Amino acid sequence: MRRWFGLLAMALSLSACSTDPDERIVIRVANWGGADDESDFAAKQRGLYEEFEKRNPDIKVVIEGIPGPGEYVPKMILAHNSGATPDIATLDASSSALFINSGMLMDLATLIDKDQEFKLNDFYLNIVDIARRGDAIYAIPNDFTPMVMYYNKRLFDASGVSYPQNGWTFDQFRETAKKLTKKDQYGFVFANWFPGWIMWLWNNGGDVFSPDLKRASGFLDSAENVKTIEFLRTMINDDKSAPSLSQAAAAGVDLFANGQAAMTVSGHWGMVGYSAAPKGPDGKPKITLADLGVVMLPNNTGKPVTVMYESGYAITKRAKHPDAAWRFIKFMTSYESRLVLNQTGIAVDARKDVSTERGKDPLEAMFLPIIPTCRPPYGTMVEGFEMVETQAQNAMDSVLKNGRDPKAALEKAAKRIDSELAKRQVKR
Amino acid sequence: MERKESRWGWLFIAPAFAHLLLFALAPILYAFGLSLFRTRLISPEREFAGVENYTFAVAEPSFQNALWNSARYALVSVPLGLIVALAVAILVNQKLKGITLFRTIYYIPAISSGVAIAMLWQYVYLPETGMINSLLGMLGLDNKKAFLDDVGSAMWAVAIMSVFTGLGPRMVLFLAGLVGIPQELYEAGALDGATGWRAFLKITLPMLIPTTFFVVVTSTISALQIFTPIYMMTKGGPEESTDVVGYHIYTEAWVNFNTGLASAKSFVLLVAIVAVSLVQFRMMKSQLKGYSAA
Repeated sequence: MRRWFGLLAMALSLSACSTDPDERIVIRVANWGGADDESDFAAKQRGLYEEFEKRNPDIKVVIEGIPGPGEYVPKMILAHNSGATPDIATLDASSSALFINSGMLMDLATLIDKDQEFKLNDFYLNIVDIARRGDAIYAIPNDFTPMVMYYNKRLFDASGVSYPQNGWTFDQFRETAKKLTKKDQYGFVFANWFPGWIMWLWNNGGDVFSPDLKRASGFLDSAENVKTIEFLRTMINDDKSAPSLSQAAAAGVDLFANGQAAMTVSGHWGMVGYSAAPKGPDGKPKITLADLGVVMLPNNTGKPVTVMYESGYAITKRAKHPDAAWRFIKFMTSYESRLVLNQTGIAVDARKDVSTERGKDPLEAMFLPIIPTCRPPYGTMVEGFEMVETQAQNAMDSVLKNGRDPKAALEKAAKRIDSELAKRQVKR
Repeated sequence: MERKESRWGWLFIAPAFAHLLLFALAPILYAFGLSLFRTRLISPEREFAGVENYTFAVAEPSFQNALWNSARYALVSVPLGLIVALAVAILVNQKLKGITLFRTIYYIPAISSGVAIAMLWQYVYLPETGMINSLLGMLGLDNKKAFLDDVGSAMWAVAIMSVFTGLGPRMVLFLAGLVGIPQELYEAGALDGATGWRAFLKITLPMLIPTTFFVVVTSTISALQIFTPIYMMTKGGPEESTDVVGYHIYTEAWVNFNTGLASAKSFVLLVAIVAVSLVQFRMMKSQLKGYSAA
């Protein structure tokens, strides 16, 4: 028995010796995406982490990848509650209210003021504002994307339809889609993903919440929103210029990337897929970046608006080495780092200099006039906005898949959202 | 000597026992405590609420809907799963060449990842291009129905999938039960003229009562706890027609962050499961009594 303990003690001391005699400061960075992410973006990111470590020999960067946004939020909150928050959190605007309101993040304003090299003015200020609360700034933005309308110029040319212009109306959009619909080709493809269709409501004069963000009844179920949903339903059911949700699902491919739909709504990230579109029988990709055009969504209000999704870096209050964390953020949001990452085409850069540089590309330039119409998502203001997204999606599903009345479906969703909001147990 | 042996016994079960205490019993007790508070996961504050979470939960329409959905699911999937498992067990109990291969094949879903299976079954149910709809299309029938998108069919689609995923363990249990029936009973029965279907009804089924009971109780419990296929395939939709209690509790805790209320709902589910099991025990007791008297 004693010998056994002796062996155990030896094994333990051996393993203690074998740990790295590394005396570098460790900063833990929470990021979405798994360690096995093979994308170009992930590879470039890893390259930058290595570059940062090379330039800062006293710091070791440990990336904690959490796959999927659905897991990211609960996992971070649990880490916070159990005192195990990483030093740096990657913040997604669509859930940032939770992080900012929970008090887990450090106010970066003093770090910014102290730092002579860092200039907040290098960034689009409306993007910085997403994580600003009064004088406090809780995150430095990386990049963002407005939701935009993509169109396939090749299909427009083939049907002799002129390209859409910023400021077009719902009716013009509907007519355009009709003209582009023919055998094996749709004018438009609609996806029931609420973050991707909330701006249709705004552009027809509707909204989701009361201005105090307390109530959905009277807002989500407004007459304007009923009309918007009826409009989309008409395109699918009557005009047949857009496939039904189950037809789109049955296709098993992104119809737009497959050259079978002339228009679609997506973020800048859509281009990552379009630049690697499936190939046709002639061996050529069914869509290339040269085929693409980008335009604002149509509006009936005279004031086009769209939603933007953004990501940024925040330092947590529990960070043991805030200065090292700040050096990391500064490096990752610098002109040279952002230029590398932005070339992957995933988003519009939050740095004005990078976006201007990238705007020399004609396709990128089409995003620039849309930037001033960007509105932050409700997730920056309402905690757990995912619940609202689910209810709105359910309403749309019940209209488009199960033939329910739009007004009744929206009323039901609004009531449900109100009761869920009222249920929130501890008020802050 | 005996004392020494029992000490070793304790030592051997210690790891499993510690694991049970730490990762099952302790969280259950903690959840019970939590269920008595008004909480929100992102806030350190909590207020004592007594039984408020419980009274709120049982009166909440969406939770009632979830309870009803779970009941519907169990009422279909348990008997269906039972019948199919028994039929398959009888088939693979035949003394044929290569029968172990079939036994293995039928067991495979039980050791596969529930997530992967659910993803495959999503393709099975797709309109037009899905496996079922492709077959319907070949027969010239309507092949446009999206089974998982339709309020009328989504729950049954998930239940049918569960028949196949839960088949393995149930089949093995029935197989063990079948093998355990003494051959003499069939021989004696044959002398009295009970063969084929009659032998199945009068000998096989009664002899399988204890096995059936075990299968019913365990599959009812797991049916009432179903989560993975719902999370993967329907997210509780369409129109919350597949929002079962397991998924409902998950969203309450991890989307709405109402951890106190979610814990209370978990205990309502616990009480429901215990109640159903007790009823099943009672019914089975009377069955067994009648059987031994006959």
